[in-house]
Amino acid sequence: MSNQFDIDNVSKLASIELEETEKNKLSQDLSIILEHVQAISNLEFDISVDEVFIHPLEKQLNLQEDVVEEFLTHEEALSNAPESKDGKFIVPPSME
Amino acid sequence: MQYNPTIGIETHVELKTNSKMFCRCKVVDTEEPNVSLCPTCLGLPGALPVPNKKAIEFITLLALSTNCKITKQGMFHRKNYFYPDLPKNYQISQFDLPVGINGSLKIVLNDQEAEVAIERVHMEEDTGKSTHMGTGRIDSATSTALDFNRSGVPLVEIVTKPVLKTSLEAVAYIEELRQLVLDLGISEGKLEKGNLRFDANISVANSESDVLGTKVEIKNMNSLRSLERAIDYEIERQIKALNNGEIIAQETRHWDEGKEVTKPMRSKEGSADYRYFSDPDIPNMVLDEEFVNIIKSKMPKLPYQKRLELMQTGLSIGEANILSKSNDWIVKLFHDVYSTTKNSSSTYNWITGELQGQMRKVEINELPSWFKADSLSEIINLIESNKISFSSGKVILAALLVKNVTPYDVAKEQNLFQENDSEKILQIVKNVITENSEVVVRIKNGEDKLIGFLVGLIIKSSGGSINPSIAKDLLSKELEE
Amino acid sequence: MRIENKSIREINSLFQKKEIKPSELYKQVFENTAQSESVLHAHLKLFEEDNLNKVKLSDERYIKNKSLGLLDGIPIAIKDNINLKGYETTCSSKMLSNYISPYSATVINKLDEQQVLYTGKTNLDEFAMGSSTENSAYGLTRNPWNTECVPGGSSGGSAASVAARSSIAALGSDTGGSIRQPASFCGLVGFKPTYGTVSRFGLIAFASSLDQIGPITKYVDDTRIIYHSIRGFDPKDATSVSDKPVIIPSNKTAKVGVIKELMEEGVSEDAKNEVEKIIKLLKAQGIEVIEVSLPLIKLAISIYYLIAPAECSANLARFDGVRYGLRADGKTSYEMMERTRAQGFGSEVKRRILLGTYALSAGYFDAYYGKALLARKKMIDEFNQIFKQVDYLISPTTPTQAFKAGEKTSNPLEMYMSDLCTIPANLAGLPSISIPTGLSKEKLPLGVQIISKALTDDSLLDFSEMIEKEVAFKEEPSDWIK
Repeated sequence: MSNQFDIDNVSKLASIELEETEKNKLSQDLSIILEHVQAISNLEFDISVDEVFIHPLEKQLNLQEDVVEEFLTHEEALSNAPESKDGKFIVPPSME
Repeated sequence: MQYNPTIGIETHVELKTNSKMFCRCKVVDTEEPNVSLCPTCLGLPGALPVPNKKAIEFITLLALSTNCKITKQGMFHRKNYFYPDLPKNYQISQFDLPVGINGSLKIVLNDQEAEVAIERVHMEEDTGKSTHMGTGRIDSATSTALDFNRSGVPLVEIVTKPVLKTSLEAVAYIEELRQLVLDLGISEGKLEKGNLRFDANISVANSESDVLGTKVEIKNMNSLRSLERAIDYEIERQIKALNNGEIIAQETRHWDEGKEVTKPMRSKEGSADYRYFSDPDIPNMVLDEEFVNIIKSKMPKLPYQKRLELMQTGLSIGEANILSKSNDWIVKLFHDVYSTTKNSSSTYNWITGELQGQMRKVEINELPSWFKADSLSEIINLIESNKISFSSGKVILAALLVKNVTPYDVAKEQNLFQENDSEKILQIVKNVITENSEVVVRIKNGEDKLIGFLVGLIIKSSGGSINPSIAKDLLSKELEE
Repeated sequence: MRIENKSIREINSLFQKKEIKPSELYKQVFENTAQSESVLHAHLKLFEEDNLNKVKLSDERYIKNKSLGLLDGIPIAIKDNINLKGYETTCSSKMLSNYISPYSATVINKLDEQQVLYTGKTNLDEFAMGSSTENSAYGLTRNPWNTECVPGGSSGGSAASVAARSSIAALGSDTGGSIRQPASFCGLVGFKPTYGTVSRFGLIAFASSLDQIGPITKYVDDTRIIYHSIRGFDPKDATSVSDKPVIIPSNKTAKVGVIKELMEEGVSEDAKNEVEKIIKLLKAQGIEVIEVSLPLIKLAISIYYLIAPAECSANLARFDGVRYGLRADGKTSYEMMERTRAQGFGSEVKRRILLGTYALSAGYFDAYYGKALLARKKMIDEFNQIFKQVDYLISPTTPTQAFKAGEKTSNPLEMYMSDLCTIPANLAGLPSISIPTGLSKEKLPLGVQIISKALTDDSLLDFSEMIEKEVAFKEEPSDWIK
């Protein structure tokens, strides 16, 4: 597999705007790291991803009862908002 | 050229739990913004999700009731995309191991039973709500306001295979699904509140081809009417485009309710690479046989089973379908009344027609506490046995809805019982003929409409209690002699 | 011995006997801080004034013989990726410079039951990504043993704080060695508990399947006391476990395995010598020590640098300028989010987010993240097999002693290699401890790591305490403890 790193696509997916110099440096770093981890992608295993438990102790999920608890007040919820109005968080338009 | 449309429907059903999917914040129905929040559903740093047991029970009920195969070893995945009303910028959802797969739902289409193949039933969380502010037009909004009360509310997504052919079939499917979630008690099922939200995938293909056409996804249909119109519009649009030699673009379109057209969406969501991966905050979910059996034991009667029972009384599938989608008390009333009248047709007509009509007139949604199924049975039986007239039945029913009386009392009090004794009626008929000899002559000279006048006199002279059809028969016989 | 050099149990006993008051100890640790902080920069924020009333109440409780536990009145520092209600949690990031947490982590709620005195929030590599505490938006932390050196990371501030006696103990978090490596670099005990035994609720996630909160202390017994206070099932953390601890019957008859792969190239002679020293010491106790091999450990760094970035790429997606934290300007929400993340994250964080995004992206998932999951599973199987033969595994904690600041900043891969020995225990969710065993020629601390079976944390601590007694490491970073 090629280590050609499409930095523009990846930074878009990750929602991080990058400067040109940053792009070059990061592409270079990431290519080095990817080359190192390449050893893994060449391995073959007799199991599939769906068989792997995500919990390292291979624990199963315990569900929680449907009982309401109060946590944050309205004021606490908005206390860190960069901008808010009429009890809502305000952001620049999300529809272009 | 002939084109065949193919439609698939994705429906989001909001579950009726007390608390949210991954935290214990109350599910609220309020205009007051940002009042039911915690670090988890607001996506604060350090917060973690813990799935709601009730929601998993609910989705398992839905999956079982649609004949899905239950995934024993399931898991939750993160679906990654950036959107301001998605607090974590990933949605906890399910990817390749959903709760249920490969099911089916029986629906009624054109008075026939049909089956819709279900591809998958999976669990996910809702997002917050965005309001675009500014000039009022989405295109020129100056800012977006966010309310996260809805963030984290449990949603089930139920996806059909691309098997539907018409907008009517899509509507019938949604109607059936809505009834199913109501009967299962897992959702409020209110379309106007967005408890059920649907997207349609539509393609058209040359009828001689085995290959499906290019799929177009239609969003933003919030009523059955807009679902029907949007599908019809989109099929038409695609056929027209193909006839003009155009290529259908694979895209997401938006139903414009006002203009009744579909328009391409310019949202960034379109071409996303969601980078699904198993959520490391949530261990694998095992739905073992024991759990599934407990859920099975809680399964209520399903809409198609209700239909079958109703059809066994002699109702048509159409009538049974309408009744099965009515409130529970109506179905129960039907069965109770039918058990004594044994007449499904008149029971059906009285319940769906007269009773519900009169209830609307007096503006009540529920039957008064004193109103018993036996009373309606009695009215129907009195009519069937000619003891009262059909219109007297209506009068009695109206009285029963406003005061605690029995049909017999009303009939007695208002003198609604009919005189069915031919001897007695004949005597009155003869009297009236004698007293109106001039009229009789005119009738014999061809003035048939005067017969009605004589019937009226006969009923009047009896004090209104004579069975009019008997009176009419006897009068005709007498006049012929 | 000065009071701040004593163990928590000894200090508590002095409090009980009213020979010294919590307020006196409190004053002493802040005097120490005044000496060292301007050079070391272990803390992002100090709470000296905030606790005055709390300290007084603690004094009164001891006077009335009504103390709330061994940790009542003990000054403890908190890594700044653990939420403390009403205080900033910055994760050493510009992204959260003004963020005040409206809630406390579960571990804090547990420590509150004993009215622990929080001395401050400690410096870390931004979002716990790093091995030197150089990746902090608020400046690096220096090693109290040699200020030219790094204290390790990412819990470098916590380690430096304890080493400089600015606190009696500290909480850190460990994703790939972030507690054990700085503890080793600073001559301290660092413990990463079994995954799931300590709640992660309120710990700002780096890599959810690897993160675990644990203590950094001077003594194994201090670690035990803190671990016992913070562990336990938490209904707010779905990965938290409710299992009872598993006991290894006797540490006298325990069998120990030396991990062959961690005694090979890439590990310094100094580091290997420390392990050899401990092996000799164990054998002298009549304990059987054998060499064992876990071949997949050689791939641990590769597995880790796919899984951790993949998880972090999603975990850090929430930092978008919408609801809290930094917000940059932008004509649209999307532009605002992209710029906020560009300005808010440092380069190491960006590097890992982009790496993880790539490893999960269409066309690469199977080859990278997917393969890493499978390799991780196989490595866990190897550990399970080995633990059928031995009770404890021993290795160096770090391949080298503390390195100089700036020495490894230009090559990320070289920095990643410093987690070579500690990463496997995170991947397998196993309890793992680093205990100080000696000093190098350069007078820098060295340590060894011991790993045991999942849930055998208590036995691991007992076993470590036995080694601690035999080693009798009594050195101190004397410059700061006058």
